[in-house]
Amino acid sequence: MNLYRPELKRFRFLRWFDFRSWRLGMLAYILNRVTAIGLVVYLYLHLAVLFLLAQGPSGWDPFIQIARTPWFLMLDVILLAGLLIHGLNGLRVALTGFGYGVRSQKPLFIALMIFAAIVLAVGVFKMFMG
Amino acid sequence: MSLQVTLKILRSRPHQEQRYDTFDVTVPDAANVLDAIEQAWAHHDRDLMFRHACHHASCGTCAVRINGREKLPCIAPVKDYDGGEIKIEPLRNFPIVGDLVVDVAPFFQNQEASDFIITRPTENELDGKAIAHTQGLDPESAPTVPFNRFENCVECGICLSACPTMSADYKFFGPAGLAAIKRQLDKTTDANEREKLLHLADDEHGVWRCHSAWECTEACPQSVFPAESIMALRKEINAQRFKKFFRL
Ligand code: SF4
Repeated sequence: MNLYRPELKRFRFLRWFDFRSWRLGMLAYILNRVTAIGLVVYLYLHLAVLFLLAQGPSGWDPFIQIARTPWFLMLDVILLAGLLIHGLNGLRVALTGFGYGVRSQKPLFIALMIFAAIVLAVGVFKMFMG
Repeated sequence: MSLQVTLKILRSRPHQEQRYDTFDVTVPDAANVLDAIEQAWAHHDRDLMFRHACHHASCGTCAVRINGREKLPCIAPVKDYDGGEIKIEPLRNFPIVGDLVVDVAPFFQNQEASDFIITRPTENELDGKAIAHTQGLDPESAPTVPFNRFENCVECGICLSACPTMSADYKFFGPAGLAAIKRQLDKTTDANEREKLLHLADDEHGVWRCHSAWECTEACPQSVFPAESIMALRKEINAQRFKKFFRL
């Protein structure tokens, strides 16, 4: 008597991104998924870029010119943000997952994200001003 | 004083397209959403399927989603919705029987798997099978650490509906089922029983499937804290593995 239509079942993973509740735990859950997908995409892009090395200076030098432009540096900022959010939130998930800090999962998330924001700000400063 | 309210209810029947029907109803100022649903049924559409029993949050039968969030409509005041339209849908992650009624059989099967069944003393069987009665907590064998009485659980299924992991894996044992295992574990010091319960939880569709969204704990109307129980079970399973590995 299951009335869920098959096509809906196929897309039910979209509920992972359902932040209707606006609760911190769910927000952290969504952020971890989005950053994880972003980091996997980055890994493949990184491999593709490294492939340019095999072409020698003629392939690599023009790429380095592009990599120094502010627009490209913005991508680095997004990457750093993804790494910090995923890594630090992952630490929280691992800790609570082993039964530690369970009752303080929300303050833990807030504290780690504040730390991530500080490191990101320093990173941005170094990237653009350093 | 009375309130005018528009209910937008998801209607479903087997082999029919789902649709939303709207009902304008008038309810007393102090009414809850369940009262408004009853008005819609009484004055507009006797075909409307919904379920309820106690009217005071102790049976968990009426659970639905109100404006997207899992609630017990029997304790959700209409006036909290500011006179606007109230969207009412059945719980997610359960097969729909019709309109607001879902099939809760899978939920109760999981509760039963941990031997956590509350029955009247006169009932000795369930579905034709003999059952042992859930024993009350023995103060002698109770652990010294405080724990939540799982009996707080009204078996409403709200935690299963709120859980995003449940959406992706229907075999997931679910927050309430895992909380029931934890409750049973707290109750016993018998090594075999504990081994059996931890084995039940230690499964790819058990505690390890949870991805820590904490929605179950947030949505639970009875402060059962199912997510915390899942984490506590993991801790116990890891401790057991550690001891086995080092032969402690
Ligand atoms: S744990 Fe809470 S939300 Fe889940 S079934 Fe029990 S009372 Fe309902």
